[in-house]
Amino acid sequence: MREKKLRNIFVNGAISADTIAESIRKHHTKKDIGAHSIFLGQVRADEIGDQQVAGISYTAYEELALEKMYEIREAIFEKYPLTCMHVHHSLGLIAAGEICLFVFTSSKHRKAAMEACDELVERIKAELPIWGKEILTDESHQWKENK
Amino acid sequence: MNIKILLFGRLTELLGQSVLHMEDVSDTNTLAQRLSSQYPGLAQIKYQVAVNQEIIHGNKALTDGMTVALMPPFSGG
Repeated sequence: MREKKLRNIFVNGAISADTIAESIRKHHTKKDIGAHSIFLGQVRADEIGDQQVAGISYTAYEELALEKMYEIREAIFEKYPLTCMHVHHSLGLIAAGEICLFVFTSSKHRKAAMEACDELVERIKAELPIWGKEILTDESHQWKENK
Repeated sequence: MNIKILLFGRLTELLGQSVLHMEDVSDTNTLAQRLSSQYPGLAQIKYQVAVNQEIIHGNKALTDGMTVALMPPFSGG
């Protein structure tokens, strides 16, 4: 049995466009890949009454989240013929307009990458113990709920 | 015996802290009942329970040194 390796998915602060570009660039050497699928979650400035969401402050039960992410990762690799998979989620305060979730899957042919990416995003939102506190423009807050 | 209780999301606000300790509590149901009587708002909030980083369903016996996490609905992404 191979060693169970927990990968950290958490980054402090927003995920920059440079990080995403660098991640794409790193795959240029992997020439068996024919398709990438990328999902980017961006903090939306929802209107709440006469206020707006200025940002979301994320916290997580990190140990459990990484255990859970390991299970999800194994299941997705089992189900789809992927070449690789990368997941990054922000912690801390992320301003509206910034990226807080980056999911990146690659495969020989497009269907596997696209379907795996979609399923990953759904499972991340439903199963990882992460909480978002929406900070409004008047500095009041409310707890985000995933729909 | 000592049980460590981790709180997350809105529960940190309701209980005013993110870590608690409880002595002499035999199982997770007793722990939840004790907290609910101390913090009446807790009964209105839905949450899942994890013991030593494993989500449980139903009641679970506790022994010294265990960590119990109370987790309101997730909202990552």
